[in-house]
Amino acid sequence: MKAPTRVAVIHAFFVLFAIALVARAAKVQVVEGKQWVARGKRQHFFASALSAPRGQILDASGNTLVESREMTRVALALPEVRDTAFVIKALRRARLDAAAVHAAIDRRRRWIDLPGLYSASDVASISKLNGVHLTPVLQRVYGNSDGIKRIVGSLDIRGNPLDGLELALDSILRGDSGRVSLARDNNGRALDSPDGWTEQPKTGSTVMLTINNTLQAICERELSIAVDNLKADGGDIVVMNPHTGEILALASNRVGRTTFGNTAVTEPFEPGSTLKPFVAASLLEHKRARPSDIVSTHNGKLELDGRVITDMHKAAQLSLADVIRFSSNVGIVEFGQRLTPRQKYETFRDLGFGMALGVPLPAEATGTLREPKQWSRQTAASILMGYEIAVTPLQLVTAYAAIANGGELLEPHLVKEVRSVNGTVLYRAEPRAVRRVMSGEVARTIQQMLLAVVQEGTATKADLATFEVAGKSGTARRTSQNAGYTAGNYTASFVGLFPGNDPQYVVLVKLDRPKGAHYAGGDIAAPVTQIVLRAALAARDAALDREGLAASEKSVLAESAVGPSGKAASTSAPRLARGVRGDATNPLDRAAYDPSDNMTRREIPEETAPYIVDLPASPRAAAAPRAALTPRPIPDVRRLSVREAVRTLHSAGFRVRVVTSASSATFPAAGTMAAPGSLVQLTRPLE
Amino acid sequence: MAKRGVAMRGRTLVGVVLAAFVLVALSIVWRRTIGIGESERLAQLDSRRVDLEGERARLEGEIRDASARQTLGATAERRLGMHIPSDKQVVILPRPTR
Repeated sequence: MKAPTRVAVIHAFFVLFAIALVARAAKVQVVEGKQWVARGKRQHFFASALSAPRGQILDASGNTLVESREMTRVALALPEVRDTAFVIKALRRARLDAAAVHAAIDRRRRWIDLPGLYSASDVASISKLNGVHLTPVLQRVYGNSDGIKRIVGSLDIRGNPLDGLELALDSILRGDSGRVSLARDNNGRALDSPDGWTEQPKTGSTVMLTINNTLQAICERELSIAVDNLKADGGDIVVMNPHTGEILALASNRVGRTTFGNTAVTEPFEPGSTLKPFVAASLLEHKRARPSDIVSTHNGKLELDGRVITDMHKAAQLSLADVIRFSSNVGIVEFGQRLTPRQKYETFRDLGFGMALGVPLPAEATGTLREPKQWSRQTAASILMGYEIAVTPLQLVTAYAAIANGGELLEPHLVKEVRSVNGTVLYRAEPRAVRRVMSGEVARTIQQMLLAVVQEGTATKADLATFEVAGKSGTARRTSQNAGYTAGNYTASFVGLFPGNDPQYVVLVKLDRPKGAHYAGGDIAAPVTQIVLRAALAARDAALDREGLAASEKSVLAESAVGPSGKAASTSAPRLARGVRGDATNPLDRAAYDPSDNMTRREIPEETAPYIVDLPASPRAAAAPRAALTPRPIPDVRRLSVREAVRTLHSAGFRVRVVTSASSATFPAAGTMAAPGSLVQLTRPLE
Repeated sequence: MAKRGVAMRGRTLVGVVLAAFVLVALSIVWRRTIGIGESERLAQLDSRRVDLEGERARLEGEIRDASARQTLGATAERRLGMHIPSDKQVVILPRPTR
C-alpha cells in the first residue's frame, strides 16, 4: 500500500474539519436551534410594561371631574452632563426647579430626581441634552373643587388608590396594563422592532356620577360662606333627587381639621327635631293619631322620667300638625307615648337608620340606632326628639326622600353609569325601592305638615317668593368630650323639599357648632337652603325639570298690582305675604342669618325699582330713562303666534307665563294698566 | 484551451455567486438600517403624540378650571358687580304644548 502523500493528509484534515463544521452547524441549527433562537431573542428583545390609563370620572352632565394625563418626570445623571452651566440654564428656561438642581449639583450626587411633574411642552427643549433623562408618568388630574376631591378621593405617588371612589371603584377605574416587546440597539437603548409584539393596555372604564357639578359648586360655595359667617366648626349640604335616589350634591366643610372623606357620609350626628316628621308618619301609619288630634303640651314644660322637656313655642295644647309646625318637644313626646318602643325602633330602622346605605364610598358610617332592649329609661322620649340616635346627613336625606316621593325608601345612588372605553354601557343605575316605609297618603299628609313649617312655622326663612318649600328645621344640642350636653353647643339643620308640592330636590343643610346669638336650624340653616335654591333656579343646569317647576310656581299675579314702589300692595293675598316674608331682603332674615351683616353684600337690593330691558337687549336700552317704569297697558297679542306674543309682551316690559287653555287671551286682559315687571299669563289653545 | 474556458466559467460563476451574496447581504443590512431608522422615527412620533395628548388634557383642564362656576362666579361678582338673582327675578317660560 502506498503511503499517503502529505497533500492527501492535508486534504483529509480539511475534509474532516469541514465535516465537523457541518456537524456543529447542524447541531446548532437543527438540534439546538430553538434554544439559540430563544436565547437570541432574550438578548435582543425585552418586555416592557405599559401602564393602563385610569378611567375618567364624569359628572351627571358628562363634564370631566377627574382624568389621567401623561406628564414627565425629569432626572439628571451628573456624570453624563458635559456642560453643567448650560444644562442649568436650559432647565431654568424650561421653568424647572433650578434651585433644586443647583443644590443637588453642589452635593455632587450622581443622579438627581427633580421634584414635580412637567408637561411635554415644558421639557421639550431639554429632552435632547446629555445627562437629562425623561420618564413618562401618568398623572391623575382633579378639578379644583374640594368637594369633588372628597368624593372621588385620591391616589398615592405610585398610583394606588387611597380613598373615595378611586378606592371603592378601583377595579373598574384601573384598567389592565399591557406589555410591549422592544429591541435593544448596540447601546442598549430600546427600539421598536417589527419582530416585537405588543399587548395594548386596556384603559379603565369611565364612571359617570350622579353629582351635578353646578349644584355641587353652589352648595360648596354657600356652605363655605355660611361656615365663615357663622364661625361654625363646619357643615354639610346634601341634595338628592327624591324620585330616583340620585345624589346631586354632597358638600362638606370642616374648619381647622383635615378630613379627606366626605363627612356627609362618614360622620353621624344627633338630628334633633328633623326626626319628628317620621314619628308623626309612624303615628299616622299605625293609626294612633290624626293630624288634627290634640294633646296637652303643658305650656311648653313637661317633667318625665326625672327630666324636664321644654318647648321654644309654649302652648297649652297643640294638634299633631302644629306639633310639627312649631317643633314641640313636649307635643311629640306626648304623641309618641302612643307608640310602643318596638314600633319606634322599627320606624327608624325601616328608614335606613343604623345601617350603611351602600353608596360606594369607603368608611360610610352606619350611625347609631339601639334596639329597645338596650334603651335607658329616657331613650323612649329622647329618640322621639331626635336624641340618642345618630344618623349621617345622607341617611337623613334618603329618609326625607321617602316623604317626597310618596313613601318609598330608595337606594341612594352616587354612580349613574359605567362605560367601557369603547362606549359600551357596563352598568346603569336604576331607581330601586328598598321598601315602602309609609303609605302615599301618609307621605302626602306629612308633606303638607312640612309645607306649614316653612309657610308659618319654625323655618319661614327657607321660603321662596315664587315656589313652595316644605321642610323641617332641627336644633340639637351637642355633647362635649366628657361633659355631656353643654350649653351653646348645637347642630343646626334644615331638610327642605323643593318645590314643596312636587319635590325635585331634597336638600339638607347642617351646620356644626355655630357661634353667636343665632343657632337654631330655622334661623341659620333654612336661609342657607333658600340661597342654594335661588342659585340653583338661576343656574343653567342644576338638575331641575323646568317644565315641572313652571307648573309648581306659586301664583304671584297679585304682584302685578304692586307698583315699583311697593306701596299699592294692600290687596296682596296671604300666600303672597308668606312669599315676601321668606325673602332674604327682609332685614330680619339677614340679621338672623348673619348678625354681622356680612351676607348683605350678596343680597339683591330689590327695594329699588326693577329695571326692564327691552328684548333684544341693546346698549341704547341700557341707557333708557327710569320714566319707562310707569304702569302701561298690556298689549293685545291674541292674533300673534306664541313666539311673537311673548316677544311683544317682553318688549312691553312684562314677564310672561304661557299656559295651555281653550282660548287665546292674556290675564290681566289686554289694555289693563300694569306695572312693568308684572307677570302676564298668556293662555293659548293647544295647537 | 478548452480546459481554460471551463476554469474561467467556474471562476465567473463563483464570482457571480459571491457578488450576489454580497448584494443580498448589503440589501438586508440596508433594509434593517432603514427599518431601525423608521422605527426610531415612529417611536419619536408616538412619544410626541402622547406628549401632545397630555398637553391637550392639561389645556382642557385649564379651560375647565377657568370657566368653572367657582372662578367665573367670583369674577362676575367682583368685577362686574353681578349677583345671584332672587327667585322672583327668574322667569321660567314653559314650552308651549303643540
